[in-house]
Amino acid sequence: MTADVKPHSPAQLVRLVAGREVLTRVRDKGFLIGSAVLIVIIIGLLVFQVAMASGANATKIAVVGGSAPVTEALETQGEVLDTDVDVVEYDDEGAARSAVEDGDVEAALLSPGAPQPELLVETTGGQVDALVQGALQNLAFGQQLADAGVTLQSPEVDVVALDPDADADMEAAVVALVAVFVLYMLLILFGQFVAQGVVEEKSSRVVELLLATMRPWQLLAGKILGLGLLGLAQMLIIAAIGVAGALAFDVVELPGRLIGTVLTVVAWFVLGYAFYASFYAAAASLVSRQEDLGSVLGPASMILVFGFVVAVPAAQDPTGTLATVTSFIPGVSPLVMPVRQAAGAAEWWEVAVSVVLMLIAITVIVRVGGRIYSGALLRTGGRVKLREALQSQG
Amino acid sequence: MLEFDGLYKAYGSNQVLEGVSFRVAPGQMFGFCGSNGAGKTTTMRIAMGLARADAGQVRWSGSPVDEAARRRIGYMPEERGLYPKMKVGEQLTYFARLHGMDAAPAARAAETWAERLGLGERRGDKVEKLSLGNQQRVQLAAALVSEPDVLILDEPFSGLDPVGVDALAEALLEQCRRGVPVVFSSHQLDLVERLCDAVGILARGKIVASGTVDELRSSAVGRQLRVVTPDAPAGWAAAVPGVRVVSEQRGDTVLELGPGADDQQVLAAALATGRVTHFAWREPTLVELFRDAVTDTREVAA
Repeated sequence: MTADVKPHSPAQLVRLVAGREVLTRVRDKGFLIGSAVLIVIIIGLLVFQVAMASGANATKIAVVGGSAPVTEALETQGEVLDTDVDVVEYDDEGAARSAVEDGDVEAALLSPGAPQPELLVETTGGQVDALVQGALQNLAFGQQLADAGVTLQSPEVDVVALDPDADADMEAAVVALVAVFVLYMLLILFGQFVAQGVVEEKSSRVVELLLATMRPWQLLAGKILGLGLLGLAQMLIIAAIGVAGALAFDVVELPGRLIGTVLTVVAWFVLGYAFYASFYAAAASLVSRQEDLGSVLGPASMILVFGFVVAVPAAQDPTGTLATVTSFIPGVSPLVMPVRQAAGAAEWWEVAVSVVLMLIAITVIVRVGGRIYSGALLRTGGRVKLREALQSQG
Repeated sequence: MLEFDGLYKAYGSNQVLEGVSFRVAPGQMFGFCGSNGAGKTTTMRIAMGLARADAGQVRWSGSPVDEAARRRIGYMPEERGLYPKMKVGEQLTYFARLHGMDAAPAARAAETWAERLGLGERRGDKVEKLSLGNQQRVQLAAALVSEPDVLILDEPFSGLDPVGVDALAEALLEQCRRGVPVVFSSHQLDLVERLCDAVGILARGKIVASGTVDELRSSAVGRQLRVVTPDAPAGWAAAVPGVRVVSEQRGDTVLELGPGADDQQVLAAALATGRVTHFAWREPTLVELFRDAVTDTREVAA
């Protein structure tokens, strides 16, 4: 009757619903604060990591009257002893002495060029004694040999690593574990959003008005997609901040693997979200009050918590039976498989099988859950029995 | 033409609808009456696709109402429902868009309707902050905002104060003037009588009476005629064929005329007795018609 109006396609309706979900959440102060807190936690973890890394492994040594060869010798000896040596030049003995006393440096080396150099430390017997001793010995040794006209020809040892990636594997597994923690938090958060949204529409009865213009699946799809995009955006923002921070602070050894691991977790987030969002939505449609949500979300939440609990030992023992078996269980796999993948403990076909199983599970949940949702949506009042919802066709 | 054709619906062993049929012409205001639990809401929900009929169908312009057609229907459910935390203006825009409008026209329509229903200043408020009466107006605005081709309203007047009733009635009449068929259910029969061109009375799963209020009156069993003949002797009308005397009191007689009875014969008989100061059909109110219609079926059903 009016020129303004033309029929919507299902895709347009889904988009409208999704748009409303995104807009409602983005304007919600609680959501914004929650997101900010999550990002702050991630940055905090990074800073903590950086502080731990730099604090534990660096040895500060004050040198009075040093030279470039001395500094070089100290740093070389530090590498042998697996510690970063930080050489600080001081002009006079007094300043160096007080630096040691204040704990600014671990030791002060006085006149290293002299026949009888002196090392000031708070207490003797530390690693730094041996370090300086060794460095000066090497220096003197080389100097004396050079004076005698001898050129050193030491054979170069060919080092063969039997498990060259072991350290990197461990590091990647830890990165994956942190990423899985974020994934776990976001799955819980956005799963709850979906569930609360479903119940809100049911308890306010607005669902009847909505279903007069669209099919239940369109409403469900719009809600899940809208919140899912928001969740994915949040995941990507956190991933970007985490990766950028890790690279900037030089926390990881292999940036390429870090990015690969993070992308893997993001991909698993998409699968995990599809699984849990559909599960939560179907369960939530059975009740009409927010207070009753807890009772119906239990089973899905338990799988989620179980997955996270298993992910931690899986990072330590990625080839163990527990990790291997659980990485195939749909719903648990998004939390365990990325850890195994990051640790290099999963064959490509294992990942493929796990993904296929997950896709099958998602298909089943979307179909069965969609039926429960459509059947239960217009039944308000008490809790709808599962069988009633499945049988109900309006 | 909006046609409800032979709707059947049972919930378990409870047969709610047993062949509900009626038609509403474009521009017609149809009042849908019935006792509690008669099946009015079920009938409307079937039209909106919220319940599925076991048999029968609802047609608009000759074709069964499908999803596309439903988007052109403005609907107000019996259980009011809006997003409590969404602002009035945004909510109306959203519903206009769900009904097929583009963003800009939808926003304009939301503004217009909020203004027309006296919600202009509350457009930025969340629905949960409004009084119940104002929430009701938002609900109505949500049904009207997409300029629908058909209006189906379940108890739109319940909970409104007299001013609200008048405003809503005016809004509905205006839709009728646009050529929109309007179906609404109500328990306020005086309101139905005042507003509606046609009435349908639903009882025990069937439409037991339908038509204009006048038609209902004329078809009502036992039409009654009141005749005042001050000089007449008692029992003056008893001899007229097809007439039953309902009451007679000092020349004030109420007569019930059977199907074959001729009111002119009654008038002649009355004039024969002397002066006639009053001679008129006693118009049964819709309440009386409703009561009769509902009672009749109960007897038939029993």
